[in-house]
Amino acid sequence: MKFVALIFPMASLLASAEPITYDNLPLGSEKKPLVFRTYMPDPGLEKGYFANHSEAADSPVYNPGKGMDEKGHYKPVKGLPAAIGVNHGPALSYVFDTVECRIAYAWQGGFLDMYPYWGDPSRGNRLSNNYIPHLVGTVFHIASPTSEIHVDGKPLTELGEPRYIGYDMKKGNPVFRFSRGGHEFALEVLPDNTAPLSYTFTISSGSAKTITYGAAEKEGAGNTLRQKVTGTAIKNFQGFPRDSKITEATIANGQLLFDSLGCSACHSLDGSVGHGPTLAGLHGGTRLIEGAAEPVKADDAYILESIKQPGAKIAKGFPPNYMPPYALKDLEYESLVLFIRSVAKGE
Amino acid sequence: MKPHFSLLFLACLSTLHADGFADAYKLDDIKLPKDVPPEVGALAFDSKGDLYVVLRRNDVFRATPVEDPEAFQWKHFASGFHNGCGIEVPEPGRILVSQMAELTSAADTDGDGVADEYRNVADGWGLSGNYHETNDIVSDGNGGYFLAIGTASHNGPVLEHTKGEYSKIGRRGRNFSAVKHRGWILHLGKDGKLTPWASGFRMHNGIYTDPDGETWCSDNQGDWIATTPFHHIGKGNFYGHPSSLVWDKDWPKDKDPLLTYRNDLAAYNAHRAAPTVLIPHSFCSSGAKPIMVPRNGSFGEAYAGQYLLPDNNGKRICRIMIEKVNGTYQGMATYLRNEGGLRSGNNRLAFSLDGKSLYIGQTVRGWGMLSEGLQRITYQGGTPFDVATVNITATGFRLSFTEDVSEMKADEVDVASVIYQSRWTYGSEPEDKKEHPLTELKKSGTRTIEISFPGLTPGRMYEIKLPEIKSKDGDKIHNCRFFYTVHQIPAK
Repeated sequence: MKFVALIFPMASLLASAEPITYDNLPLGSEKKPLVFRTYMPDPGLEKGYFANHSEAADSPVYNPGKGMDEKGHYKPVKGLPAAIGVNHGPALSYVFDTVECRIAYAWQGGFLDMYPYWGDPSRGNRLSNNYIPHLVGTVFHIASPTSEIHVDGKPLTELGEPRYIGYDMKKGNPVFRFSRGGHEFALEVLPDNTAPLSYTFTISSGSAKTITYGAAEKEGAGNTLRQKVTGTAIKNFQGFPRDSKITEATIANGQLLFDSLGCSACHSLDGSVGHGPTLAGLHGGTRLIEGAAEPVKADDAYILESIKQPGAKIAKGFPPNYMPPYALKDLEYESLVLFIRSVAKGE
Repeated sequence: MKPHFSLLFLACLSTLHADGFADAYKLDDIKLPKDVPPEVGALAFDSKGDLYVVLRRNDVFRATPVEDPEAFQWKHFASGFHNGCGIEVPEPGRILVSQMAELTSAADTDGDGVADEYRNVADGWGLSGNYHETNDIVSDGNGGYFLAIGTASHNGPVLEHTKGEYSKIGRRGRNFSAVKHRGWILHLGKDGKLTPWASGFRMHNGIYTDPDGETWCSDNQGDWIATTPFHHIGKGNFYGHPSSLVWDKDWPKDKDPLLTYRNDLAAYNAHRAAPTVLIPHSFCSSGAKPIMVPRNGSFGEAYAGQYLLPDNNGKRICRIMIEKVNGTYQGMATYLRNEGGLRSGNNRLAFSLDGKSLYIGQTVRGWGMLSEGLQRITYQGGTPFDVATVNITATGFRLSFTEDVSEMKADEVDVASVIYQSRWTYGSEPEDKKEHPLTELKKSGTRTIEISFPGLTPGRMYEIKLPEIKSKDGDKIHNCRFFYTVHQIPAK
C-alpha cells in the first residue's frame, strides 16, 4: 500500500487542525496549527532544565523466563514524557512541557518523524526500545535551566512549583495556562517571519506587576510581555534515519525518496503554491534568488545544492530556514535530482 | 477420517455455523473517516445519543449514529491526546479523555462543534515514558470517577527524566511500576481529590462501574496473572501483580515486592484478592473494558444484566454471569460471540442510548497483529438457543436455557475442575485437574437442567461441557462451554 505524504483530504471537517493520518510526518500549518501529544524527543536539554521531573536510574535486566535479574542494565533513554508539540507548518514547531510549564525548545523546517513510534502503516509496530519520535528541522532555541522570563524581578523558574492548567484554542492556536508561585499565566506562541529562526510569545498574568525578558527593570513594563526570540541554528534533524536500500539512481527511486522524506509537504509537483517552491517547470529554467540581482539557472548543480544546503540560495518570495539540510547518500541525491528533472519535463 | 466428530468439535469451538445468534444479533462494520488510522482507544455516547470515538494517535471524532454503517457523518471534535484509551462524556460537547500523562477535559464552549477549552482535570500519577502506560476512566455513578492506571512493559524503556517520583524497585521485573500508581485503580472524587483505591494490576486495560455502583475490571494474563480474571473491585484490595505495591503506603519502603512474593507464595496468596471469575487464557486471551448488558431487555432478555468482556487478542466477546452466594460474588463465563465476522482487537464497548446496539472499538497497534476499527452488534429480536445462566447449587449447577431443551443423559455432560496459582511465571498452567462424572442430571421445567456430582469445592474453576444439542427448531446450541469459578457453595 502506498501512502502519499500530506495531502489534506479532510478539508470538509470542522476543526482547528487537520486530523492525524497514516503519514508518519504529521504537519500543521500557520492557519491550522497542529497540537500534538506524544513522547517528545530531547534535543539536548541541560539537566537543570528538568527541575520538576524525577531522575530515572539504570535497572537490572530482568529475565522473565527465570523470574530473576541477569547481567547488564536497562538504560533510560532521552525524551520528554508529558510535553505537547505544536506545529505551524515549516514556519515553527515548539514544545510546551506540561511538567516544567515552559517552552522546552523550538525548531523550524519540519515537525516530527513518528516512524519509531507508529512504525510502518501496514504493520503498526513501534521500534522496540528506541521509539521516541525524531525531530525534523533546525532547532534554534533550547531552554536554559533558568527562565529568561522574570516576574516581578524573579525568574519564572524560581517562583515555586509549576502547575499545568490546560490550554484554550484561540483562532486555532493554543494559549497555554499554568500557575506558578501564586500567579496564573497565559502563554501564546506564534511564528515570527520577520527574521529567520525566530518566534514570538506573549505571556501575561493578572496578578503579577511586571513581566520582563531578562532581570533588568524595564520602563513601562506591565504584566503582559510580548517578546520575539531569535536563535541560531543549533542542530539539524532529518527524522528517523532510514536505509532506502537504493542500489541505483533512478527516477522511481527519486519519487520514493521524495514521498518518504516528506518533501511533498512543501513542494508541489503541479505548480500549486506551497511552503516551498513548486517543482513544476523548475529544472532547466531560471530562478530568482533573494538578495541576488540575476536569476540563477536551475540545473543539476543548483538542485543538488538546494537539497544539501537549502540556505545557500533562497528562492525569492520564500522564507529562509524552512527547509533543513538533507544528508543523504550519493545515489539518493542523484535519484532526487533525476526525479525533479523528470517533473519539470512532465515525464 | 471422522467427519462427524470434527464437525461437532468445530461447531462447539467456534460457532461458525449459520446460527440463531446471527438472526438475533446483526453485525456491522462502521466506517470511520477516510485516511484516519481507526485505532479505537475509547468510545462513549453522550446523553443526546452522539457517539465519540477516541483514536490513539491524537484525535476524537463525533457522529450521530445512523442505521447505514457506511453513512456516519464524522466530525473532528478534538485533538491533542497521547494514546487516549478512556473517555467519559459528562455532557454533550464536553468529554473527559484519559491520556498517558493526564485526564483531560475538552469542551466546546462556543457551540461550533469543535472543542476549544482543554483542561488538566487530574494528573496525580506518573509517566515514565514507556509505551505501555495507558489509562482508562469510568464514572463512579456518583459524580466522581475511577481511573485504571496501566503499567509499563520491559519491552520498552523509561525516560531519563520521568513525570512524577521514580522508584528503582518499582522499575524491576517484566511489567513494572517505576512511577506512581502504575498498576492501580485510583478514585477521583467530585472535589478533585485523587485516592489510591486498589492495587495489584498487571495491565487492567479497561474499568467499568455498573448501574448498582459496583466496579469491575479484567487484567492481562502474564507475570503474576495466571489466567484471564474478572475482578469485582473493593477498596484497599491487592489483585495479584506485586510491582504496584511499591506505591502502597503500608508496604515497607525498600522492600522488593517481586522478590518477597517470589519467595513466599503463601504470604502472597494471603494478601491477594481472588478473581471473581477465572477464564481460561485460551478461551479469552486479553480481557479489556467490561460493560453490562442493559437490564431492560433492549439487547435481548436472555443476557440482560450480564457482563460482556471484549477480548483484545481474539475475535470474541465473553459473556459473564455474576451471582452472589453467601455474600460473595462469583459466576460463569462463556461467549457472547466468537468469530462470526467479529474482528480481533476488541478494546472498548458502548451501548447506544436505546440499548439495542453494542458498539465495539478495536485496536491492537503496538501490542500485536494489526486489527482495528469500529463494529456494531444490533439486537433484531428473538433469542439464540443458548444457556442463559449457570447457577451454583449445593451439589452442582443449574443451567437455564433460552428455549425448551430436549432430553440429555448424565454421561453426555462433562464437568472438570482446576485451580490456577498465579506466580512470577508468564501465566500459569491449570493445576490439579479433576474430572467430575455426574451422579445426576435432572430436568426441572422445560428449560432447566440441574447437574450434580460429589466434591464441589471452593477455590476451583469448573468447566461444564455440553454435547452439541439442538433446539426444537433445529438450531445448534450457541455455547457449549461454561466456566464457573466457585468461592462459596449455597447450603441448599
